[in-house]
Amino acid sequence: MVVKVLTEGIGEVDLCDIEIYRARGGYEQWRRAVTALGAAGVMDATNRSGLRGRGGAGFPTARKWSFLPANGRPRYLVCNSDEAEPGTFKDRMLLERTPHQVIEGILIGSYAIGSRHSFIYIRGEFAEGYRIFKAALAQARAAGFVGERIFGSDVTVELTVHRGAGAYICGEETALLNSLEGRRGEPRLKPPFPAVKGLYGEPTVVNNVETLAYLPHILRNGPEWFASVGPQRSPGFKVVSVSGHVKRPGNFEVPLGTTLRELLELAGGPLEGRKIVAIQPGGGSSACLFEEHLGLSYDFDTMAAHGTMLGSGAIVFFDDSTDFVKAALALVRFYAHESCGQCTPCREGGHWLEVTLERILHGGGVESDIDMLLAVAHQLTGINLCPLGDSIEPFLASVVKRFEGQFRSYVRTLPVPA
Amino acid sequence: MTTLPKEVTLSIDGLPVTVPEGTLLVEAAKAVQTDIPVYCYHPKLGPAGLCRICLVEIEKTPKLQIACNTVVAEGMVVRTQGPKVEDGRRAVLEFLLLNHPLDCPICDKGGECDLQDYSIAYGQGMSRLAERKELKPKAIDLGPTIVLDDERCIVCQRCSRFDEIVTNERSLVVKDRGQRDVIATATGAPYRSNFSGNVTELCPVGALTSKTYRFRSRPWDLQRTRTTCQQCSVGCALNVDERHGNVLRTMSVPSDDAVSEGWLCDRGRYNVGFYADERRITSPLGRFGDEWVQLSWDDAIELWATRLEEALASAGSASIGVLGGGRLLNEEILLVRHVMRALGIANVDWRTGRQRQASPGARGGTYDDLENAQAIVTLGRPPSQSAPVMDLRIRKAVLRNGARLISIGAHPASSFVPATHLARLSDLAGTLAEVERIAFVWDGIDAALGAEAEAALAKLAAEGKHVSVFVPGETPNARGAEALGLLPAGGALDTRAQLEAARGGTLRILSIFGANPVLHHPAGAAFVREALKRVPFVVATDLFLTETGRLAHLVLPAKAAFEKDGHSFDLTGAVHAVNAAHGAPPDALSDGEVMIALAAHLGIDLPSPRELADWATASPATIANGLGDAALCGSLAPARDGAAGLRLAIAAHPFAGGGTVYFDDRLGELRPRPGLLLSPATAQAAGIGEADLVDLAAGGRVLHDLVATLDGNALEGVVTIVDGLPEAPANDFGEGETVTLGNVRSSRALAGSVV
Ligand SMILES: Cc1cc2nc3c(=O)[nH]c(=O)nc-3n(C[C@H](O)[C@H](O)[C@H](O)COP(=O)(O)O)c2cc1C
Ligand code: SF4
Ligand code: SF4
Ligand code: SF4
Ligand code: FES
Repeated sequence: MVVKVLTEGIGEVDLCDIEIYRARGGYEQWRRAVTALGAAGVMDATNRSGLRGRGGAGFPTARKWSFLPANGRPRYLVCNSDEAEPGTFKDRMLLERTPHQVIEGILIGSYAIGSRHSFIYIRGEFAEGYRIFKAALAQARAAGFVGERIFGSDVTVELTVHRGAGAYICGEETALLNSLEGRRGEPRLKPPFPAVKGLYGEPTVVNNVETLAYLPHILRNGPEWFASVGPQRSPGFKVVSVSGHVKRPGNFEVPLGTTLRELLELAGGPLEGRKIVAIQPGGGSSACLFEEHLGLSYDFDTMAAHGTMLGSGAIVFFDDSTDFVKAALALVRFYAHESCGQCTPCREGGHWLEVTLERILHGGGVESDIDMLLAVAHQLTGINLCPLGDSIEPFLASVVKRFEGQFRSYVRTLPVPA
Repeated sequence: MTTLPKEVTLSIDGLPVTVPEGTLLVEAAKAVQTDIPVYCYHPKLGPAGLCRICLVEIEKTPKLQIACNTVVAEGMVVRTQGPKVEDGRRAVLEFLLLNHPLDCPICDKGGECDLQDYSIAYGQGMSRLAERKELKPKAIDLGPTIVLDDERCIVCQRCSRFDEIVTNERSLVVKDRGQRDVIATATGAPYRSNFSGNVTELCPVGALTSKTYRFRSRPWDLQRTRTTCQQCSVGCALNVDERHGNVLRTMSVPSDDAVSEGWLCDRGRYNVGFYADERRITSPLGRFGDEWVQLSWDDAIELWATRLEEALASAGSASIGVLGGGRLLNEEILLVRHVMRALGIANVDWRTGRQRQASPGARGGTYDDLENAQAIVTLGRPPSQSAPVMDLRIRKAVLRNGARLISIGAHPASSFVPATHLARLSDLAGTLAEVERIAFVWDGIDAALGAEAEAALAKLAAEGKHVSVFVPGETPNARGAEALGLLPAGGALDTRAQLEAARGGTLRILSIFGANPVLHHPAGAAFVREALKRVPFVVATDLFLTETGRLAHLVLPAKAAFEKDGHSFDLTGAVHAVNAAHGAPPDALSDGEVMIALAAHLGIDLPSPRELADWATASPATIANGLGDAALCGSLAPARDGAAGLRLAIAAHPFAGGGTVYFDDRLGELRPRPGLLLSPATAQAAGIGEADLVDLAAGGRVLHDLVATLDGNALEGVVTIVDGLPEAPANDFGEGETVTLGNVRSSRALAGSVV
């Protein structure tokens, strides 16, 4: 069952027009937050809603906010719109089709944590989204929703738009902060965490576009409305990007807890005469599930319990026509290419896996290469500075184990060495 | 009130360790002599968490953790050995060696390479890589001093972090991403820094090497001597590495926390080749008319002694002058002083350049005072050029402790950190209201300004502020020469008065110890030359026939600083040992040995070695009390001209000076070209463009063909030239003098016309 919360009105009206957005109740929750609820009220509602981050890690949003030290330093909210996780295209839709909702979410979040100057970091390739968002921001500013003395109060929220330069790693929150500061986009060593020492060395929260966009709805309908949907520890709605071997790929907003099979059907089901054999449920960094898992509930905890993750909410379905050696190479190549190169295992190990898979694909593989792939992928995992390095093993290991025959068929073509 | 840091106790490989709270695990392990391998971590640069070689196992933590960024906790149980740790280490080493060329047999780091050492200790000996190794550029000329081999680089970022954290110059960066990443300069321009050599020591592998040391030796063939750098007054500890009579390289002393903090500047590090230059004087030389004749030491000393006795008998000790001493070691200074006093000679002055004073007076500070100051004020020439490693402390104070850096006068601070500039000392009043600890760095040149500063500091001190004063010496041991009394006492002649007496024909003998007043004395080259020509007998000790030596009658071959033993003061007055690291040419004698020979000839009793050693290692304060010299700072007001026009500033440069640096051809690229520095606005007003050739003139004195450099840091209305360049001697000009610039030509047009 699809729902319309964030996606309400998309495809029906032009939500980029502030008047249309306002006519449907837009910016009313921003007004209510400032004039009635207060920052503590917003914080409390967010906490009770059970909202978890939609950027990948699924961390409870109100908890993250509560880590900010009360030390009187300036604080920053940064909206992460670098969306580059393979298979993920939900933030792009929100940015391009309903930018005011994103702005309203950022404003409410900023107010809740006490950020007087917030930032949105937009993926370099989103030229259209950047243009649309800037135009919407100008409208919001002209309407008095952004800037100083909001609604006649002493609340100030400035919003600066920054466009990235096209690096996946800049979606990782500390690399993003480096990039925003004009430094090389590479993750920072933690601790210290951004909540303590983030943008320009000050306490900072980084939140995903979708996470923040849910805030106005939580305020409007009440936290209980959000918390009552889906599994108790994984509540609310989610915009899921479905792609791969399906008839109608796209974004589908559903309650968490919807089954994978339902999501497959929403996307029109498998292609004619084909059968789904594997599901990557949470972006390129997640391990595959298989046809026997189609009945699973799609939520943070169920995915984790099955050795994978919900991640950014991007599902790729693979049918029985898939060459998993090629699929594995495509993904490994992506990570090797996007590694910032800072730390040894990710930099060297990713590249090693890439050249080994290429060799296998071109008929130069030997039997022992398959075990070596697994061993190298494993030994590069868990010892990196940021999670990117650990993102290579899950998909590779899951498909090598499941479709070992496919990998063996490539190496078997090699003449036995004398 | 200081509270003792709290301590925590943890266990490392079963051994209990107690360390202060906040200690990093990697440091705590050193307390129990446990080796945790590191590449990117460096105690002076802090953790970076990049290489991942320092993995350890911590009880109750499922994943291996990096020891370099883990802070100790009470009761923590750490294992640096065992299968899990060893697997992690082996994995990281395998990754590091994957595309590493392993060209150890031709790599300068071989034998002292952390990658080699850890691979042997923890590696697996076999690579599973079936592919061809990735090739990266080799032997890249990174700048005048450094060669980069990208293939060997393990991207630990120590070099780029040094260039950011310590120097704040930020020219070294990592370029590109993933396996394609390489070290490069941010702009692609050559890597130029006064501190470039340090990256070769920080580099844990053979990726960064010094041009002067490439393919020269193996570490196990080198014999190391620890000494103190004698190239400027900072006093950095220095290791000299020698093989078969050749000094092959110099290295920092990482534990030298009180002075250099383990860094060296490029002058201290790279200016060593001169000792073997073929132009070095290797026997005493006598000049008879225009002809130089080699003399034996006996004949040379006899000649000198006889001339001294004659002059004493005929014209008295007032007809004898003694100059120099700021390059000598304390023992040598004491011997010069002793012999001259025994002969009743009082016309003694170490100050053969612009500096009038090398001691900070009663408020002298330590380098720690400098680092902990909340405001650092530089008056006159900034230490960034005259005392390079001291400037790293200043940068640290500004960058890490938030100190304010304020420069006063015609010279900007040039420290690569934010600084403000004030035109006059009097502008300082009121800007230091909230500051409690002030460090004051004065170049010791303008005595009147020094007196004005002293009054201002006395006022600040009276307000209860902690004031510390620093005076970098113009010569390495200026502080020693001054403290040990190479100054004219009781109305005797200072340098200028001696030169005037010489011109007036009343000076009969002039003895010059390791000094080159023709190039450095502000009376100007022509004036000094004329004076020297009128003295019947001039004797000079030096390594080379300098502008001054060429006018002497007797030139004695001296020893370089790393060829002799003794002590020297650094600019804060701390005593350091100087040790012979290298055998001098057979016929060279140190100035001290020369004094001993002279004393023997003249029948002068010498102090006992014990007495000499006591004074040479005493503190300046003890000496002041014991030897009882009042420093007589004769005033030498430099030619001043208040008229409107361009004001001349004369700056120091680490690679200027007509001495040693001019006698090592490998340093050619580092030597400053004769030029002048202008702010863009000043240049525009004068119709001068970047790289134009310009003549600079004042009162009939001219420097020709100076290359103009425009610098946004330079002050308006000021033109800066560099002191001590033999091709364009600045000592014909005075600091603050009004100069005119003319005969402006585009250097390109000129180059074109030649073709
Ligand atoms: C390699 C990498 C890429 C990431 N890319 C994104 C991204 O494009 N967008 C995003 O919101 N979070 C991304 N994240 C997660 C962020 O680091 C961060 O957890 C998130 O923005 C927090 O927002 P949330 O709490 O609202 O989920 C990425 C993480 C990693 C390790
Ligand atoms: S894991 Fe990869 S992307 Fe992350 S910091 Fe290390 S090298 Fe960079
Ligand atoms: S050149 Fe040396 S110091 Fe610099 S990153 Fe590479 S290995 Fe490290
Ligand atoms: S700062 Fe001075 S003492 Fe230190 S290395 Fe450089 S020249 Fe030598
Ligand atoms: S030394 Fe700890 S990660 Fe490099």
